[in-house]
Amino acid sequence: MTARWRNTRLTTEYADDLKLFRSRLAQSGAALLVLAWLVLPLLLGEYWSTILVYAGIASIGAIGLNLLTGYTGQVSMGHAVFYGIGAYSAAVFAGRWGLPFPLWLIAAAVAGGVVGGLVGPFALRLRGSYLVIVSLGLLVLGTHVFENWSSVTGGLTGTTVQAPVALGPVDVGKLSIGSARLSRNQGWVYFTWAMVAILGLAARNIAKSRPGRALQAIRDRDLAAEVIGVSLVHYKVGAFVVSSGYAACAGAMYASYARYVSPLDFSLLLSIQFIAMIVVGGIGTIHGSILGAVLLTILPRAIEAVSGSLPFVSANGTGGGLTVQSLNQALFGLLIIGFLLFEPLGLAEVWRRLSRYFKAWPFSY
Amino acid sequence: MERVSSAPLLHVEHLTLRFGGVTALTDVSFTVQPGELFAIIGPNGAGKTSIFNCLNGVYRPQEGSISLGTTRITGRSPVAIASLGIARTFQNLALFSNLTVLDNLMLGRHHRMRTSLLTGALWWGPAKREELKERRHCEDIIELLELEPYRFLPVAMLPYGVRKRVEVARALAMEPTLLLLDEPAAGMNLEETEDMARYIREINEELQVAMLLVEHDMHFVMDLAHRVMAMDFGRVLAIGTPEEVRLHPAVIDAYLGVTA
Repeated sequence: MTARWRNTRLTTEYADDLKLFRSRLAQSGAALLVLAWLVLPLLLGEYWSTILVYAGIASIGAIGLNLLTGYTGQVSMGHAVFYGIGAYSAAVFAGRWGLPFPLWLIAAAVAGGVVGGLVGPFALRLRGSYLVIVSLGLLVLGTHVFENWSSVTGGLTGTTVQAPVALGPVDVGKLSIGSARLSRNQGWVYFTWAMVAILGLAARNIAKSRPGRALQAIRDRDLAAEVIGVSLVHYKVGAFVVSSGYAACAGAMYASYARYVSPLDFSLLLSIQFIAMIVVGGIGTIHGSILGAVLLTILPRAIEAVSGSLPFVSANGTGGGLTVQSLNQALFGLLIIGFLLFEPLGLAEVWRRLSRYFKAWPFSY
Repeated sequence: MERVSSAPLLHVEHLTLRFGGVTALTDVSFTVQPGELFAIIGPNGAGKTSIFNCLNGVYRPQEGSISLGTTRITGRSPVAIASLGIARTFQNLALFSNLTVLDNLMLGRHHRMRTSLLTGALWWGPAKREELKERRHCEDIIELLELEPYRFLPVAMLPYGVRKRVEVARALAMEPTLLLLDEPAAGMNLEETEDMARYIREINEELQVAMLLVEHDMHFVMDLAHRVMAMDFGRVLAIGTPEEVRLHPAVIDAYLGVTA
């Protein structure tokens, strides 16, 4: 990780440096995004709405992982477990105990956070690849529990989830504008991306204030961080709690949306996908997590869409060649390797270069 | 410069540090007065950096005691000692290289700030107010050490001499009562060394911060320090004014070989 610096600019107040959208360009960009949020669900069909919902849910999980891996430097393969804990928590809290909407989501996030807090202390004495191996162990353990604790998880066959996102008269599944009814998928695009905005903003706020600097200090040089008074115990465990809370929140939303979950949804592949998202999107950035999550959610569908015209790919692998799914997995691997080699700071860095280019246009420096 | 010996700020008594069979420090005792610039000199392996590591809690000495004012700090954690007011720089730089100069300084304020993961996430209100207040404090230090052009640059992009200055600035941001400087002029050219000497004198005189300085550059030490302690093989050879120490027979032996 090398250079990542703000553009030189003129400000007269220290508060100006802390604004979320500093330039006119960034402000209009944000306004465009809000407009897109309002309009896109109405224009997109059911198919793309579904994809946008999954992209939003993945974004929340990726933001969580980026706080842990990108900001604190703790690489974890256990993210899928916390996502799964959130999903099953939603199934139990909403489906069986009948908790109303904001409560089951909050409770699921807290459940994930608590388990994260229990796992966190293992990271205190481990770093780098050692932590990766321990977190792989956590993944195996998690999968075992998901598969065998049948009374809660339904075992290998999975469980249906009844966790409606409805608060009073407003039901995200049955929104309407005037007399026009929105579909469930459209309503969910609004809900999911509002959640992405709220949780993304919270993560951004953490990153730019005292706790976020402490996390990055631990990543860069943990001994020096301790000497200037940053408690490693507090912040390493804290990073696990917050990151797992985000993952569990995403998992609970996934369960609520998909209405059915099984242990297959929370495998090693999911953990790898989250890592791919933050590597492709940009390690140590919040908007990068979202970019990566959107790209890697859309990519498989895009491949599916063109697979008919690719000679060596078929939907189910009949007649030789690759299946769409195995091509996806190969591409994920290639993307991770490619980005690590050629663009280690991910799409966020590409974005920064582009915006600097246009800011300085027509001068090239 | 004559100093009235009031209650010492730092009191080190009979410090002994061993690693297995190796004794790094043997019965080291000295005091530092408030506002004093105290230097430790000695050849490589004399135990200078070991003293620093004992002072800020990275190493735990087997024998002896260290007190800051009236507080005994032996055996306390680095985090606890940092909040008691001891700040340090490292011989081979320990900055947070992906963070900007300003963020590095703000981290120096960490132990004086309160924003938690939760209040940080909420931002508007106490977190933002605290951020602005501490920013103002850091800007004073940026001005004192003339770091204005580098404020928003990540430390990894800066030349070595500037990084050394950033590390002093970060330590200073902690508002220490005692500042430990581990070879602040190592690897610097003449001009940078002179600049650093000027900054150290300014910090000492304007902010009245007591300093413990480890340095190899003899001119640098002799010009700056009020008192000097010379060490060799983990033992104290002499303590006194720069002049006294330079002429002390044991110091001459250690530096120039035993006289015939």
